[in-house]
Amino acid sequence: MPLLQLLVRRLLQLIGVLAGISLVTFLLVHMAPGDPARLLAGERASAETVAAIRSQYGLDLPLWRQFLTYLANLLSGDIGLSLRFQRPVIQLIEQFMWPTLFLTAYVLCLAIPPTVALAILGARRPGGIADQIIRLVGIAGLTIPVFWLGIMMSRFFGVSLGWFPVSGYGVGFTGHLHHLFLPAVSTAIWLVPVLTQSLRAALIEKTAADFVTAARAQGATERQIFWQTMLPNAVLPTLNLLGVMVAFMIGGAVIVETVYAVPGLGTLMVNALLGRDYYVVQGLTLVFAVSTVLITLTVDLLTAFIDPRVRL
Amino acid sequence: MSFWRKPSMRGKGLALGGMTILAAGLAGFAPALAADVIRVASPYQTTTLDPMRSAAAGNIETYGQLYSRLLRRNPETGALEPGLAETWDISDDGRTYTFHLRGARFSDGSPITADDVAFSLERIRTDKRSAYPAPLSAVEAVTAADPKTVVVTLKSAFAPFLGNAEIWNMGIVSKADVEKRGEEEAFGTVPVTSGPYGVKQWKPNERLVLEPNPHYWRKGYPKSDATVELIEIASPETRIAMLKAGEIDAVRAVPWAQVDDLKTAETIDMRLEPSTTIYMTLLNHKREPFSSLEARQAAGMAIDNKAMAAAITRGYAEPANTTLPGSVDFHDKDYPGIPHDPAKAKELLAASGMAGREVKILATADAPSQQTALLIQAQWQAIGLKPVIVNVDGGAWWDATGKGDYDAAANWWYNETPDPDLAVRWAVCGTCGSNSYNTFYTNPKVDELVEEGTREADPARRAEVYKEIQRITTEEVAQIPLYYAPNAVAYSRRIEGLKLTPSLQWTLEETSIGQ
Repeated sequence: MPLLQLLVRRLLQLIGVLAGISLVTFLLVHMAPGDPARLLAGERASAETVAAIRSQYGLDLPLWRQFLTYLANLLSGDIGLSLRFQRPVIQLIEQFMWPTLFLTAYVLCLAIPPTVALAILGARRPGGIADQIIRLVGIAGLTIPVFWLGIMMSRFFGVSLGWFPVSGYGVGFTGHLHHLFLPAVSTAIWLVPVLTQSLRAALIEKTAADFVTAARAQGATERQIFWQTMLPNAVLPTLNLLGVMVAFMIGGAVIVETVYAVPGLGTLMVNALLGRDYYVVQGLTLVFAVSTVLITLTVDLLTAFIDPRVRL
Repeated sequence: MSFWRKPSMRGKGLALGGMTILAAGLAGFAPALAADVIRVASPYQTTTLDPMRSAAAGNIETYGQLYSRLLRRNPETGALEPGLAETWDISDDGRTYTFHLRGARFSDGSPITADDVAFSLERIRTDKRSAYPAPLSAVEAVTAADPKTVVVTLKSAFAPFLGNAEIWNMGIVSKADVEKRGEEEAFGTVPVTSGPYGVKQWKPNERLVLEPNPHYWRKGYPKSDATVELIEIASPETRIAMLKAGEIDAVRAVPWAQVDDLKTAETIDMRLEPSTTIYMTLLNHKREPFSSLEARQAAGMAIDNKAMAAAITRGYAEPANTTLPGSVDFHDKDYPGIPHDPAKAKELLAASGMAGREVKILATADAPSQQTALLIQAQWQAIGLKPVIVNVDGGAWWDATGKGDYDAAANWWYNETPDPDLAVRWAVCGTCGSNSYNTFYTNPKVDELVEEGTREADPARRAEVYKEIQRITTEEVAQIPLYYAPNAVAYSRRIEGLKLTPSLQWTLEETSIGQ
């Protein structure tokens, strides 16, 4: 029953979030200077041509009428046509979604094992040499700008050594793995330190927890204590952080996708913004909102599963 | 704390081991470039496949591959040659052009008839949403006399007409197909084409995949049966890395800073190809300070465009001496240009009463635009203006310049033909619908000369007219000419015969894959 309640509550929340986001994005993109019709027709087009295109796409109507039309379409499940390509926005999002999702999953696979290993290594002797080194390297990884690191890695591993492609998404599963390796590593390099610090702190805190002492008093082996008592308790804050990061990556892989020319949602978003492709921007914002809500929900369910004390 | 040891070591070992195996396994792949694909990267996007609908940079590159025109330009000599029209006659009064079509076919195998030509040209000329009808502004009517004869009647004699019929938006499309499928559908995914290529797959916002058109009228072309991918890559660093890694075969808009480096690369042919591009600074004549002639002259004299060309393009561009591109016909090579004289500029500015005025310079994010804005700012500051740089993206740039909400904006433009008619209509004509490229410059004498230049057929007389236009508009500083830049294009040595013409068309049909 609590699960059903949670789902209903989140669904209601989602509707509110989507309504709010639709309105705000609509106003923001429409009020930014720039005209999709001008960008479409090109610089040499006369003012009359641009006006004719605006009226064809209904861009000359008052803003409130455009918003009502958009809302009505949205309620019937239609998020609109791309102004630039005259294709359904949903089709574009479907085309560009997979590289981003693959990249996100890839980053998680690359980031989680070293995070756990490094956090444990660091927390084993806080302030020890290993801990200091991990922290220093972590800070370095955090502070290197992703675009710079991306360019350097593509020059070295892609151009000089020729080990990895410097662009694209590739064909087939191994092709994706091959093509997205450098983008995934570039992202993992800042993600690992963030997660490591969180997990390390939690582990250190839980070392002195009462339930650890209690477990030891009950005669549990040190291995059992670690895997069954400490880690599950320490992992919760990091899991929440990871959820936020994943939502961030789905919506914000802009830099890494641009540097490595990955045809993902980030590239689509940047070009839609530059081309004032209103409905693509709005559609993507909705997708990002939905994915954020879904990820938060998943994290909450996982949290409840790991720690039954947590009330949904 | 001994309980950490075992699991942690095992975890770390596994993780490191896994990473190594993964990395080693992935690195073993062969380079991704297949032998039978020619890949071209451009920063500009294809947004429509309908040649009437756009004059934006990415679409210009694409149209030439998909649609043939009545005439074509020889990529080597630049001369006009027969295209879909095999021959043509011009009436004595210069008002009637009769084109005799060859027996060409569309990509679906249907014949290209005079009806298709009339339909295509009338669409460009009269459709409200046609992006660039200006090249056909002198046309009164296009009619099909019989299936193989097209008659174009002009309002009056118009010297540049044949050249204008060759421009990128003059592609011939299938009337039957557009009428059957409707416009949106006919150009939506796989259009019927008349050019060297047809569309294999269009992934908007990513790439356009083309395959040779089996019915193309030039027998033996495209030379290579390879598919062609026009790939859109926003970041200049990424484009260069892709070329160096062998993932693409040609890339346009190479940053000036990378030219020398690419020249030393063995597998790359770095070329500076002739262009009709001019870099200049727009001035807003609609409001102070640049509504004042003296203030504009001061602004022009303050700028050392020789030094700017050397600094921004590393000496690969020529300083500009008139408001027209250096390689269009009738460009006046002997005109001295606006002299660089900061002392005189200061005096002129003081005399104009505009000293100390704030000047809003628009700049977009690309490197040349940023550098130009900074250098102009410094030079204007030195003569007593108060320049402020406002950073905008392309959309906001067009919005602001179109409305006249700016004072200066550095940019570039190019002329699609060697004939200067379209150039003067675009850049310095107040009555041609372009607002003199959003500067709102207007001089009735110049507008009159623009019309006169097209009525004259004699090249010597035309040269005089265009010389006069250049003299007046440069003296009145309609815009500040900066430099004439070549097209910096880098090619993989794997391919032969590819180049980017001054009209910004890739000669892909002439391209073959070498060793």
